[in-house]
Amino acid sequence: MKINVFGDSISALVCAGCLAETGNQVTLVGHRDNERSEPGLAKLLDTQIDAGRLHVSNAFDIEAEYQIIALNPDQCLEGKQIALALAEGNHPERCIIIRANFTMGTSQRIAELAKIPCIVNPDFASEGRAIQDFKRPDRIIIGCRNPLAQQQFKRLFAPFNRNRNVMIDMSPESAELTKYATNAMLATRISLMNELALASESLGADIEEVRQGIGLDKRIGPSYLYAGIGFGGTHFAKDLCRIHKIINPSDSKEGLLEAVIRINEQQKEALFRKFWQHFNCHIENKVVTLWGISYKPNSTSIEGAPSLELIKAFLNQGVTLQIFDPMLEVNFMIWLRENLSLEQQKRVEIISDMYEATENSDALCVVTEWQAFLSLDLEQLKANMNTPIILDGRNLYDKAWLTDNQFIYYGIGR
Amino acid sequence: MIETQAYSNLQRLSETMQTQHLKELFAQDPNRFDAFHLRMDGMLFDFSKQKVSTEVVDELLNLADEQQLESWIKRLFDGDRINHTESRAAWHTALRDVSEPRPEVAQQWRKLESLVNQIHQKQFRGYSGKPITDIINIGVGGSDLGPLMVTHALEQDRLACAPEVHFVSTLDARQLHTLLRHLDPATTLFVIASKSFTTIDTLSLAETAKEWLLQHAPNPQVVVNHFVGISTNPTKMTEWGIIPSQQLLFWDWVGGRFSLWSTIGFSIAVRLGMTGYNEMLAGAHAMDQHFKNTPFKQNIPVLLGLIGVWNTNFLNLSAQAILPYDSRLKYFASYLEQLEMESNGKSTRRDGSPVEYRTCPILWGEVGPNAQHAFYQLLHQGTERVMSDFILFSQWNSPSKRGSFHQNLNIANCLAQSRAMMIGESSEDRHKHYPGDQVSNTLLLKQLDAHHLGMLIALYEHKVFVQSVIWDINAFDQWGVELGKKLALNILGHIEEKSVEGLDSSTANLLKTIWKQHHEN
Repeated sequence: MKINVFGDSISALVCAGCLAETGNQVTLVGHRDNERSEPGLAKLLDTQIDAGRLHVSNAFDIEAEYQIIALNPDQCLEGKQIALALAEGNHPERCIIIRANFTMGTSQRIAELAKIPCIVNPDFASEGRAIQDFKRPDRIIIGCRNPLAQQQFKRLFAPFNRNRNVMIDMSPESAELTKYATNAMLATRISLMNELALASESLGADIEEVRQGIGLDKRIGPSYLYAGIGFGGTHFAKDLCRIHKIINPSDSKEGLLEAVIRINEQQKEALFRKFWQHFNCHIENKVVTLWGISYKPNSTSIEGAPSLELIKAFLNQGVTLQIFDPMLEVNFMIWLRENLSLEQQKRVEIISDMYEATENSDALCVVTEWQAFLSLDLEQLKANMNTPIILDGRNLYDKAWLTDNQFIYYGIGR
Repeated sequence: MIETQAYSNLQRLSETMQTQHLKELFAQDPNRFDAFHLRMDGMLFDFSKQKVSTEVVDELLNLADEQQLESWIKRLFDGDRINHTESRAAWHTALRDVSEPRPEVAQQWRKLESLVNQIHQKQFRGYSGKPITDIINIGVGGSDLGPLMVTHALEQDRLACAPEVHFVSTLDARQLHTLLRHLDPATTLFVIASKSFTTIDTLSLAETAKEWLLQHAPNPQVVVNHFVGISTNPTKMTEWGIIPSQQLLFWDWVGGRFSLWSTIGFSIAVRLGMTGYNEMLAGAHAMDQHFKNTPFKQNIPVLLGLIGVWNTNFLNLSAQAILPYDSRLKYFASYLEQLEMESNGKSTRRDGSPVEYRTCPILWGEVGPNAQHAFYQLLHQGTERVMSDFILFSQWNSPSKRGSFHQNLNIANCLAQSRAMMIGESSEDRHKHYPGDQVSNTLLLKQLDAHHLGMLIALYEHKVFVQSVIWDINAFDQWGVELGKKLALNILGHIEEKSVEGLDSSTANLLKTIWKQHHEN
């Protein structure tokens, strides 16, 4: 089947690659700029291009049977322009699949402009495991009112629905809201856990034990119950703001999501606060090590990352920073240049070895849960560090083990 | 003053002017406005509703010359020690000299800016490490009224990143306790503003604030982070426990009631940002330049001052109403009460001899539309002759239809009141008879923003100075407030010892009654 995939996002690239892999002729109408940060993506695209099933182009085939719009959320206007161009083809039997996370109502507008049936099929994949999530999705949502288009869609996505049927039909409006609601629900769970983490600290409880205790409850389930230093990422925060704007004019004025966002913002500085309190507000000229900059492991994405708030907080109090991250990219260097004064930039050292980054350090902040951070060489840390303080932003370590080894340990909610 | 030729001439002129009704002056000259108004960029000063003629204005200008106003203005701007009873300059103009700032002033601007930026960037932190969300300005008199008046007036120019700013001044601590009940100690910053850093009002409140923090903070060391000090006395600030990096300075040549231009304006800078704060200084500087460089005949502060002298000393008016037609200027009258009455409420000449003429009138005021329903009755039909200043802004920010309706209603009321006071209306029914003939100035400014507010405040400062020169008094000391402070300490001693020995019978019996009621409770 002939398919156009519009967009440069990871979502677009993954979709184009995976559909080519299942034997379709795919044109990616966009660029391959973002692929490096997603594991396995470059290889997938190269293989499909070599096999002749995937083409990258600025032009598109108006005759293609499927037009998939996977633009960035802020490209609603471009989406409508594509719809206008497709209207000229006059092929009402074809269909448009919208995987982009546009503002509510955009999909209906696109359908009207293109005069072609439209399906809202939100992309729920997480960055860092996007290919896996595309191929083995938890659910495939088909937001559509046209039975013919529904059938066409089901044919295209059948290869990803073999193990068990995870396809759900619903209205386009419900499909759009489901995407937002998913992120709102996940964010709310995390912020609630972070509130409970504060309570744990004042009660002498351990949020990790509490997490396991409630996670076994089938009504709750174990995922997204991790207290930590807050979530980041472009889409999450953007979706929250959007759904907040949708909820606000409706009848609820209670501001639950506002609180969710506020708690998350405060949480990003949690490790800074623990360090500040440990030294009774006197932290000028201290040296702090940060492990992990990206907002999640296996990613170079730093948008909304807690590390950035920590960097600003520490530098503003006269601290020197030694930074290690396994996958730092130029986007971080640009951020440093744009957000810090020259004097502050001089107090940031990026070090390519994780243990070298702890030399003479007054505290090690573990910010992102990269696998390489899971097992610590305590002897080396103790030899390197000026004061053996571990600030564990992801509750990765066994508190007792560290304190038995004469480390001062601060986790989140324990 | 009374020895001058101009004084005798003005007295002679006043005899005829007093018999003239204001409305006759307008009837005689339909273009009266042309002769009796002045303009500068952003401001119009209309004094045509004053009982003056061209001869009166000329003689007032002669009086200014005879009292050597020009050389006094030069001494003011040169930083001479014209506050001779305290041997200090009164150099508030140097605080807003944005074109040629003094190095020590510029240095404090930089320190102020750095603190303000830290606060705006949410990097100024309390003991828990959370950013400061609330600032409580503790100060009294000039350390309170100026910032309070300005931040209230420019509330709509508040930056989104600015924290809440609260003002606390009264030594009964009620304002403070009300605030402390709902604020979070971990995110509250106290600004202790005191010129000498010995004022009991301020320091007693600061101690109460410190105690509140000590009750909540994990240990006493971290409490210092929650205090910024503003004073001329770094030694006292350090002794009290303000850390040097959080000390802002000004100098003994800044009078308390002229201090909002100094680092005392910290809370203004916090609210408006440095751009807004500098805009206010620039507005005041523009007025300084006008005052210093404009011939007296076209000089707004000079004429505003001289007309006040004419009303007080020649037309025998003894009260001055301040009537801003803008609710944002709610505290402007209180501000001027201090500025004018603390400066010129004096009866001793510079050489120590008593004055033989009246000086500062009683000044009070209220936002015009509210005052219309309060004391305007007295202005229209009372027995007292009062001079009024109407203050109006021609531009308003609301683009909506209702917004412009309210703006027009406000303008109409302002102009109607000054006209009604001028023209009056006769009626056979005495209850409905309006004598009119009440004099007023109207100050029309372009808009209420930092720049124009800076101009307006500086205008009144210079007016006060002009009058002090004519009256030959020192506008910059305030010995009158000392006796009360001294006696308060003495009575506090009596209260602590529970003794009334040596007190007059009124004070003694008031105290005894208070003690009795305490006992009964």
